[in-house]
Amino acid sequence: MKKKGVSYAKWGYIFILPFFLAYLVFAFVPQVMTIYNSFFMNYREGLTQVGPKFIGFQNYVALFTPDANGTIDILKYAGNTMVLWLLGAVPQILIALLLAIFFTSYRLNIKGQQFFKTVIYMPNLIMASAFSMLFFTLFSNVGPVNQFIQAMGWSDVPIDFFARTVTVRGLISLMNFLMWFGNTTILLMAGIMGIDQSLFEAANIDGANSVQTFFKVTLPLLTPILVYTVITAMIGGLQMFDVPQVLTNGAGTPDRTSTTLVMFLNNYLGGSKNYGMAGAISVIIFIITGILSLIVYRSLTKKD
Amino acid sequence: MNKSNSADSRRAKAQLTVLRVIVYVILIFLAALCLFSFYMLFVNASRTNAQIQTGFSALPRGHLIENLKNAWTDASINIPKGMLNSFFIAATTAVLTTYFSALTAYGIHAYDFKLKNAAFTFIMAIMVIPTQVSASGFIQLCYKFGLQNKFWVLILPGVAAPVVFFYMKQYMESVLPMEVIEAARVDGCGEFRTFNTIVLPMLKPAMAVQLIFSFVQSWNNYFLPSLLLTKAEKKTVPIMIAQLRSADYSKFDMGKVYMFILLAILPVLIVYIILSKSIIKGVTAGSVKG
Amino acid sequence: MKKFVSLLLALVMVLALVACGGGSTTTEQPANTPSTSTDTPSTSTDTPAPAASTDTGAASGEGKVFNIYAWNEEFKGFFEKYYTVPDGVTVNWVIVPNTDGAYQKALDEALINQADAADDDKVDMFLAEADYIVKYTNSEATQDVKALGVTDFSQMYPYTVSTASDANGVVKGVSFQCCPAALIYRRSIAKDVLGTDDPDQVQAQLDSWEKYDAVAAQAKAKGYYMTASEAADFRVFSNNCTMPWVDANNKLQFSPEITAWMEQQENFAKNGYTVLSDVWKEDCTNQMFKDGKTMCFFGPAWYFNFCMTNAMDPDKGCYGDWAICEGPQSYFWGGTWLLAATGSDNPATLADVMKAFTVNEDICTKLVKEDAQFVNNKKVNEAIASDPNYGNDFLGGQNDTKFFCEHADNIKFENHTIYDQLCNEKLQEYYREYLKGSVDKDAAMQNFYKAIGENYPTIVLPQ
Repeated sequence: MKKKGVSYAKWGYIFILPFFLAYLVFAFVPQVMTIYNSFFMNYREGLTQVGPKFIGFQNYVALFTPDANGTIDILKYAGNTMVLWLLGAVPQILIALLLAIFFTSYRLNIKGQQFFKTVIYMPNLIMASAFSMLFFTLFSNVGPVNQFIQAMGWSDVPIDFFARTVTVRGLISLMNFLMWFGNTTILLMAGIMGIDQSLFEAANIDGANSVQTFFKVTLPLLTPILVYTVITAMIGGLQMFDVPQVLTNGAGTPDRTSTTLVMFLNNYLGGSKNYGMAGAISVIIFIITGILSLIVYRSLTKKD
Repeated sequence: MNKSNSADSRRAKAQLTVLRVIVYVILIFLAALCLFSFYMLFVNASRTNAQIQTGFSALPRGHLIENLKNAWTDASINIPKGMLNSFFIAATTAVLTTYFSALTAYGIHAYDFKLKNAAFTFIMAIMVIPTQVSASGFIQLCYKFGLQNKFWVLILPGVAAPVVFFYMKQYMESVLPMEVIEAARVDGCGEFRTFNTIVLPMLKPAMAVQLIFSFVQSWNNYFLPSLLLTKAEKKTVPIMIAQLRSADYSKFDMGKVYMFILLAILPVLIVYIILSKSIIKGVTAGSVKG
Repeated sequence: MKKFVSLLLALVMVLALVACGGGSTTTEQPANTPSTSTDTPSTSTDTPAPAASTDTGAASGEGKVFNIYAWNEEFKGFFEKYYTVPDGVTVNWVIVPNTDGAYQKALDEALINQADAADDDKVDMFLAEADYIVKYTNSEATQDVKALGVTDFSQMYPYTVSTASDANGVVKGVSFQCCPAALIYRRSIAKDVLGTDDPDQVQAQLDSWEKYDAVAAQAKAKGYYMTASEAADFRVFSNNCTMPWVDANNKLQFSPEITAWMEQQENFAKNGYTVLSDVWKEDCTNQMFKDGKTMCFFGPAWYFNFCMTNAMDPDKGCYGDWAICEGPQSYFWGGTWLLAATGSDNPATLADVMKAFTVNEDICTKLVKEDAQFVNNKKVNEAIASDPNYGNDFLGGQNDTKFFCEHADNIKFENHTIYDQLCNEKLQEYYREYLKGSVDKDAAMQNFYKAIGENYPTIVLPQ
């Protein structure tokens, strides 16, 4: 693309200036402190501040030191987080993409679109804590799901949904899916809506069927938005916190198999405001997310 | 020839009908799943505290109005004031976030400058930093400088929203050709005017989406506001809900809590319905031809 | 271009406000908008206040604003109903809900910045619960109330005073409500299992843990549960601990009472004497219905008056089929303490408020009669307990006030540390996983240690 060179460059700086000013004033200091703190012993014992005292990489060493059984906790929680994220995000993105196509297809011409689009977005409006209270009632040992299971004769004793790894993870993923698939659908829909309609018309005139249109027109033009969806879903997933936190009361039951990285981080912040360890965990989450995002970004944007 | 054509179209029609049925089944199933949680919320909002303690109920009870009245007249909270506060914070945050994210994205998308790539990479990097820790650090700074009970402390940081920026940037990549901008320049349009009058309308669907999302996010935000807004007249809806939930035993009433949760959803739902209409209307057909 | 310049100017102004507002608001009256503070950051001196009130405030050496931190409106209600605020003092309530620990977070930040805060922004008094009170009493953030003039503790229950005292016995606050607790039993089930529902006779069969465990087996034989949660009686053990959670070398240790609870519940779970559930979840609370099979619950007056709503359900409940006895050990659960913040600029008001809600018999009597409180004044409680016409219908007419008066003196609360809340909660959470069979005992304990280590890096954990 040809540019007239000199005259426009300054506008780039001017346009991005407010963002960077706001960032500097409000976010820069705490974020730099996060990284800085990860090399310090810095926590509170009751109301007494301990440190900050420089300790080099000791916080990191502590995080990667195996416990008595040889487990490295942070790796376990990183694994939990990935599993929980994949369980929720993969169906979420696929179904959202499908729905976005349904809604924007002129051939299908779905009736009651506004209704469906409103309804699927509604779970996102409920606070996570209220949502998990409802789930708890539904799936408790004396709740309707167990009553149904027992009435159908599938099990004599109630199934303790909150004591098994599979069911707890399943419930967390289901909640995350319900809370976010409408959101993703709308994002993708807006992406498809933004595509120049004349391209679809042209494809139609050229005799392309809907599958061809999707792969040859919609998907390539939607790629940037899809990249966004996948990367932000990944960032959100790696920072997953509220749903497992409230559903398991912070314990990540059973056997901490639904403890996520940020729940782990939150344990350090909760009792002792341990900015040293919390900072180190943040840096690790930062590195993991950064590497994964880079891989996704590269592999998805290279294709075209 | 003619025959096979009509057979083809008949087959296509049958296919479409089958497809439609499948699509509607999927949609109705998902909608039912979503509505069910709302129905439960509604059921609980129509029960007394004692009835809620008994566990699940499939049918609503007749205490909706009573709960509404109790919540509305609760001495510890002022619902209209809370809604107003929440609305003010959420609306201003949403507008600032969306506008400045689009502006930043446009700055990086449309202009060539030395630090362009560095700026982009930087914003992407800060997007990846977990929010929990910096939020705690932010709180400490606010207390140090005595910035409790000030709305702008919660609103202005919205100007720097990396995630929204990223969305706008990606959206521009798929819908905003440089030709449009250059055409505007040829017409003698100033840079700000180009952005405000030509680029923004083309971003309408994206703007609507991000307005909704940032509004909802701010509306439901509890962590930072709960620690910063401690004066009764400054409190927002989520703080008031939390306050109802931490009431002492003689006043504790989950019926009120569910009622308020239900009430708190209404304004957001209205904002959503209004804004989501422009996701459809914003179609850019025709504006970019040639 | 013009538009841009104006926008930039606006932006610069906003930022300037941000920067200046930040520096000056600490000394500012709250109603001020940031815009007035840009040019003269020291406007706080000419705060418009009625001359008269300023004078009285100055005369008594008291600050103009009395700041009280609390997590709900309970005490505020009593305060506004019964306490007359001195002239020239305005009470400012800072109420932060305790959801997600927000109350302690906000309070901690305020207390840590107390020295730098303007007089009218300083915390004067704050409310705390027994679970975390030690964090504040054992710190410099609270001050000796005897020095302020609160000296008469004769009518207070001893445990409320020791709970509010630091390690050296310096009293840092007072409790305005007491929550002595009891063993709450279903009369009909007791009749079936023990052959009697009379509180004294039931008590005779449950007055030690050995007897209690034996009764659990008897109940099981008749098809009942002893408790509806493995944690139901946890507080009876944990409040009577003879050793703190950490020793002198900061090593985590288990008081024999905690170990006893763990062994007891291991036995209960194995034999099916209890429902394994969180105390607040439906699995447990549904046992309070008429068709529930559970004999014992544990709790104070607020528990059976407000939290056993399933038992009061008009269709499925069993109102009146309950009674209380002391059980194996005396204990308490809940209550609210008023603590005196160091650096308060209203010491006289502070002492006066504390005395009003503990020593002032007039106010205490009203709290009992009009607000159904069990106050921290023996004389007042006993006067009401002796009323022969009083009886609690939920407890089948039993006089609970009289009962609590007789037993509140036996309550002990010693050996507490700042780690109690976390240790108690986490032990229950992770031990339940073991009792339910999700993990083995060793894994449960390892998870418990991990949770402690994450929250308190200084505690030395067993290996």
